[in-house]
This record gives sequence, structure tokens and C-alpha cells, in this order.
Amino acid sequence: MTLLLRISLRNLFRQKRRNLLLGSAIAIGMALLILANSFANGISDVLFNRIMAFVTGHVSVTFTQNGNRMSPVFRDGPRMLEMVREAAPEVAQIQQAIGIFSRAIGNGRADNVILVSLDLGDTATASYRQDLEANFRLIAGSYENLTNGMFDYPVLIAEDKAKYLRVGMKDVIKVRFQDVEGRQQAARLTVAGIFKPANAFMSAPVFLNLPDLRLLAGYGPKDIPQLYLVLRDPTRDALDVANRLHAALQPPLASLPGQLRFQGREARANAFGYRVDTASRRATGLPSKGVFASASLAEALSLKPGDLCTLSYAVKYPEPGDSTAFAPLTLTGVLPDSAAIDGQALLISDREFYAQFYSRWPAAEAKAPSNGSAGRAWRPDTSHPWLPYLNRQWVLLERTKTTQALQKKWSGITRLKTKATTVDVSTMYETASMVVNLEMALNLITLVAVLVLFFIIQVGVVNTLRMTIRERTREIGTMRSIGMRKGEVRNLFLLETLSLTLISGAVGVGVAFLGMRLLASIAFAVDGNPISMILIGGHLHFVPKAASIALYFLLIMGISTVTAWFPARRAANLQPSDALRHFG
Amino acid sequence: MKPILPILAAAVAAIWSSAFGGAQLDSALALLARIEWNTSLQQDVSAKVSLLQQKAGQGVKNIEMQFYRRDADKSFLIVMTAPPADKGNGYLRVEDNFWMYRRNTRSFQHVNRDESIGGTQAQGDDFEDRKLTEMYKPALDSAGEVLLGEEMLGAIPVYRLTVIAKAKDVDYPRKIYWARKDNGLLLKEQSYALSGTLMQTSYFLKYTAIADRFVPVEQIFIDEFEKGNKTKMTLAEIEVKPIAKEVFTKAYLENLSQ
Repeated sequence: MTLLLRISLRNLFRQKRRNLLLGSAIAIGMALLILANSFANGISDVLFNRIMAFVTGHVSVTFTQNGNRMSPVFRDGPRMLEMVREAAPEVAQIQQAIGIFSRAIGNGRADNVILVSLDLGDTATASYRQDLEANFRLIAGSYENLTNGMFDYPVLIAEDKAKYLRVGMKDVIKVRFQDVEGRQQAARLTVAGIFKPANAFMSAPVFLNLPDLRLLAGYGPKDIPQLYLVLRDPTRDALDVANRLHAALQPPLASLPGQLRFQGREARANAFGYRVDTASRRATGLPSKGVFASASLAEALSLKPGDLCTLSYAVKYPEPGDSTAFAPLTLTGVLPDSAAIDGQALLISDREFYAQFYSRWPAAEAKAPSNGSAGRAWRPDTSHPWLPYLNRQWVLLERTKTTQALQKKWSGITRLKTKATTVDVSTMYETASMVVNLEMALNLITLVAVLVLFFIIQVGVVNTLRMTIRERTREIGTMRSIGMRKGEVRNLFLLETLSLTLISGAVGVGVAFLGMRLLASIAFAVDGNPISMILIGGHLHFVPKAASIALYFLLIMGISTVTAWFPARRAANLQPSDALRHFG
Repeated sequence: MKPILPILAAAVAAIWSSAFGGAQLDSALALLARIEWNTSLQQDVSAKVSLLQQKAGQGVKNIEMQFYRRDADKSFLIVMTAPPADKGNGYLRVEDNFWMYRRNTRSFQHVNRDESIGGTQAQGDDFEDRKLTEMYKPALDSAGEVLLGEEMLGAIPVYRLTVIAKAKDVDYPRKIYWARKDNGLLLKEQSYALSGTLMQTSYFLKYTAIADRFVPVEQIFIDEFEKGNKTKMTLAEIEVKPIAKEVFTKAYLENLSQ
């Protein structure tokens, strides 16, 4: 074998010009494949990790309060965050994301801007910070200005927007917007940094530090805005994580367990919300607005319709000196026997129930009565016929697969006959399908172009190999007549081809990296052009992957071996006398 | 021996202050209730609404609409009649449903009550009949005094009452009203953002009396945030008579917008 290898290498170097040309073709093919693949990876990296992570997250958990999509808030934030972390431990980062449309006034000019939160707190990973600084390269100020307390409501603003509003560093921008409750809010923001966005997607936002924007937008200490989850491998994990989260976020039954007081009397009671959609109302016979007591509760407190009583319950997030909520309730009636409620319970209509539930979120478990109030608070078991008509802590929207389905689902939120907060779990495939489709289209175009080129090159390589073997038929005859066996002749040619491919492939890898370096050094002036979306700072972005390079190496070796196999076998099968007589 | 005189003086002062403060609060609450009562029509109403919107650097835009409101369930219907680009578009609210109708696509879309009406700053919930006394209460100063005073607005003696929001979901968390002393008619209103910034000043220029209530037929809203923006609202052809239930239907809106 060593002898064969030595002969094949000698033959390789003997035919310098021919093998140089053949090797160059293989090297170029290899370089093109790696370049194209790295470019496609670069596009994916820019779109998924640099744009999607900031624009929608790879997976997002969004909330809608009161059927208003401009009011994205969940009132029991710590619990929601805990559930997300438990269900999807592989999530690299959970960003609390606030985006608010606002009217901004600079120095004599006004424009619409989007106020966007930047989470630079403990949860921000090093790579997030790195991507942030790459996407929004500051040309004035610093990221630390957002958090160092030197400015009043510091903001980072895009160069173009700053120019339009005629503002510079330390200038004030007045903004007007609606807070999370729908109230008018105004603020004076100070320009603490001006950035040059990496691409067209990134020029719209005006960035504020998350705690600042939470305060301005009216979020309470336990409220959370929508959550953007950043994954390490979004294309592999996004769907799985979203489905798992969706399964984990099934809403539990909502109740306000506490004490009901009326005219000095007191009883344990559990208050539930009841659904008021047409089907539920038909099933329960309850009206769209009202407060109903179970028969035993009405009896215990001598309640009758029109009586004003007070429900008190322990809150989940007590404030200093205020750990109990009090809800004044005017009784509408007593529940019919069909309700089959055999304990002390109150049913409150949807809107009124949620208004109380979300304003003071109840503690998870009912506390035992401290003052010996009598009675047994009722709680439905899983088979209770009224269970489907009682309110849950939130409404979990169905998972969708396409952008169209997602939009339809979101527009349907206003039609829901409930004031429950909706919770929705979506992936980038739904929220930003345009970007995903763009990535797929660009990858496909690149792949097709390269495959066509690669095919043309390979046709040349195959042809050259066949010619080479044909030209060397007499040499084969000589080798066969001095005792070389058929298999050895075939292996000689295969080894020669493999050696050539190996050397050329290695050169091709080198050329590819050189090419990437050269191409990445070219600065494209594409401001305002959508193509800037796939560039980083006006430069092409390549992400070579070792596994892909190894795969292409094996592919080219395989193709060369198959190409060389048939002419080599044909040559080996020739009779020595025929081979020696061969001309041409 | 205890210094009895200062203690007695303090007690008298406290009682006097409490009594006077209580009276002030009652007066403020009564004024708020009067303002609310003055303009709360307990009947079905229809009117032609005209909005002359002036935006800084963008000239003047005239928006006109026909407005119907049913008192029984606070349903309302709005059909745009101008400008031509918006003509035929409309809004319909029945119970909790709020639809926007687009004439060019002949489609209804369920929208939120915060939806802007015809691209103006007016929202769906501005047409709701929410009670002023349920949304606002008299504000107190740092000493606990009710912010209610008397002054002259031009030549008219008025009360100046500051109110703060009771509910969270109101547009402006703080307002100042100037209401006539003789009949409690609102003449001027300033609306403040959560941060305390003055956002809008409204002037109620002309009222018309309907039964024993008043309808402001001419108002000016001055945008204090973005200087140079203002809107003049005029109500005309006001009719107070029962409106057929068919009016508050999608079919009627579609038909009206033809």
C-alpha cells in the first residue's frame, strides 16, 4: 500500500500542470461551498440571534389585559417567571420587553417613536450585551449612561432619529404615550447615547433602561410585561420550548378565599368568578352582572338580595400594614339549587370578579379563620358540573402555527367575553415569519446557485479524470505486464485521485477563509436599503461551522472517489496486451 | 399642672378645621355631581358632530360624523361623513362589542374601546357614558385641604376644582375644572398626565339646553403637549327622541355608509 501511495504521489507531481488545473477546480468548488454555507449561516445568525432575539424573542409569552393588546401586563409576575423557568430550563435569557408607541418632541420637531426597554440587569447575559453593542454601536455616550444615574430618564436614540428631532447628547426629548392602564403619560427623556444601528430593523426604537420604562409605563412591582425568551439554538428548540410552555401554563381556577361580613356577622367564604358568554349564561342561568351567594352562605349571614356585604381576603403581595383586601359586594341573589354548591360560596360576574382579582391578587391558600367564624368554604371538585363556567386565573390562548393564524387569534382577543388576562405562547415562526421566510429564501437561493456552480465544476473534474486515465492506458499495460494486479492498478488511480482531492480540499478551505476575510472587510453603503438587514455594520457576516466543513470535505472526497472508480476499474480490467497496443 | 389652654385651643382648631374641611369636601363633591348632572342626558340622542383639527405644520382637517346614542344600554353608532377618504367608515358599540367598519373593504373589525375614532385623539371610550363621580374625586393638597377655590374666568365667577382619578382606567389621572358658580356649567378643563404634565386644555364655548340638562355644542381642545395642535368640536342638529333599535346594528351602519 505504501508503494502504491508513493507511486500515486509520484504520478501526481509528475503531471504538474494538469493536476494543478484539476486541483484548482476542486479547491474552488470546495471554497465556494464553504463560503456559501458560511454566508447562509451568517444570515441565519443575524436574523435569528441578532434581530429576532431583540424584536420578538425566539419564543414569546405575551399578555393582554382587558382585551386590550396595548395593555400587556400580567399581575402575578414572580409566579409567571417561575413557571417559565421551570418549564423551559434551557432558555438562555428571559427578557422583560416593553414597547410603547409614543409621540416625541425634540428641538422644534416632532415624530413618532417606539419606546423600547433594555434589560441590562442581572439577567442580561454576556452574549446579549455583546450582541446589543454590535447591533447598536454607540457613536456618542455609553450604555452605562442608562444605569449610572447621571441623567433623568436616559435614552439611547438612533443617529437618524436624533438628526430628525434635532437633538444631541444631553438634550431633552418630551414624549407622550398611554401607560399600561390607558392613562396619558408624559415624560422628559435625556439623550444619553446616540447609536448607529446595524441594520434597517434597528433604527426605530428609543431605548430606555427597563426599570425606568416600567415606572413610566405604570407597571407595579409585581407586574411583568411580555416575555421574550432567547434560546441558544432557536431553530432546533423554539417549537419544543413553546409547546412545553403552553402545556405548563394551563390556568388554575381563580378564587378569592376569605371572610364575608354582614352586619357584624362573619362567615368563611370562597368567591369565584362566573363566565358570562352566551353558552355559560344559558347553562348557569346567571345574568351578565351580579353577585350570588350559596344558600348556606346566605343563611349563615341572613343575607338577602340588595344587602351590601364585605369580602376580605389575604393578598399575595402585601404592602406594609396592608395585607388584607376588602371588596364591597351588593348581593344580587341566592344561587339556585341547580348550582349544587354544598358549602359557603359567592359567585361574582366575570368583569367584577377580575377587577377585584387582578387589583389585589389573592394569596394562594385560604387562611384558616382567626376569629372562629363558622362554616365551610366551598371549592368545586374536578367533576362538578359548574366547573367549566367558573373563571380561571387567566385565559390561555391556543397555539398557532402560522402568522395568519396568530393574527386571527390576536384580533379575536377583543371578541372574548371575558375580562381575564390572556396568555399567549408564540414562536418566532409565527411572530416574525417574514424574517424566517427571508432567511429560508436567502439560504435556498445561495444553495441553488452554489450547487449549479459546483455541478459545472464537477463535470469538468470528471471529464479530466477520464481523459487522464485514457491517456495513461499504455502505462497501465506496462504496469500490468510487470506483474501489478488488477486491484492494485485500480487502487493506484483511486489513491491518486484521493490525494489530489485531499490537497485541493485543504487549499479550498484556506481559500474560503481568505475569501470570507476579504469579503467581510468590504463596507457596503446600504443605509435605508433592506439588504442592510443581513449585514453587520455594513459588512457581510460569515459564520463557518467545523461540522459543515468536514461534511463538505467528505462530500467532495466521495464524489471524486465515485468519479475515479469507474475509469480506474475499466483501466484495471484491460488485458496488458490490449493496453500496450492502445493509442490515443 | 397641665397647660390646659394650648390643648383646648388645639382641640378647637382641630374641630373647626375638620368641620370646615368636611364642608369643603361636601361642596367639592356636590360640585362634581352637579357638573355630571348638567350634561347627563337621560334620553336617546343623535347629532351631527364636526371636528376641525389643526395640527402643527399639517394644516387643517375637517372631520364630520353622524352620531347616535341609545340611553338604555349606552350603545352608540358613528358614521363618518367627511373627509372623503374616511366617508362611510363607522363605529358601532353594542354592550361590550365595539366594531369598526371600513367602507372600502366592507368589513367589520372587532376593536378595543381605546381605538382612535377617525384618526383623532377621541377614543371609543370617550363616547361611553361613564359617570364623572365614579371616575374622579376631589383632590387634596399636602395639608389635606380640598383643592376647591373661587375665581373669575374672564368676567364670569367660577369654582376651580381639582380632581384626581378614582379608577385606574381613565385617560387623565388629574384634572382641573372651572365651573360657573351659578349653575355648575363647565367652562374650562385642564387635563394632566400621570407625571403631572399639562396635556390638554378644553374650553366649553357654547351650550344648548335640552330639557333640564345642557349639551356643550362648541368646544375647543388645545394640545398643550404638542404646541400648535388644537381641535374644535361642534355639535349640530341635535335631536332628542327615541331611536329605533335597528339603528344600532351592523346592517344599518353598512346601509348608512353607502
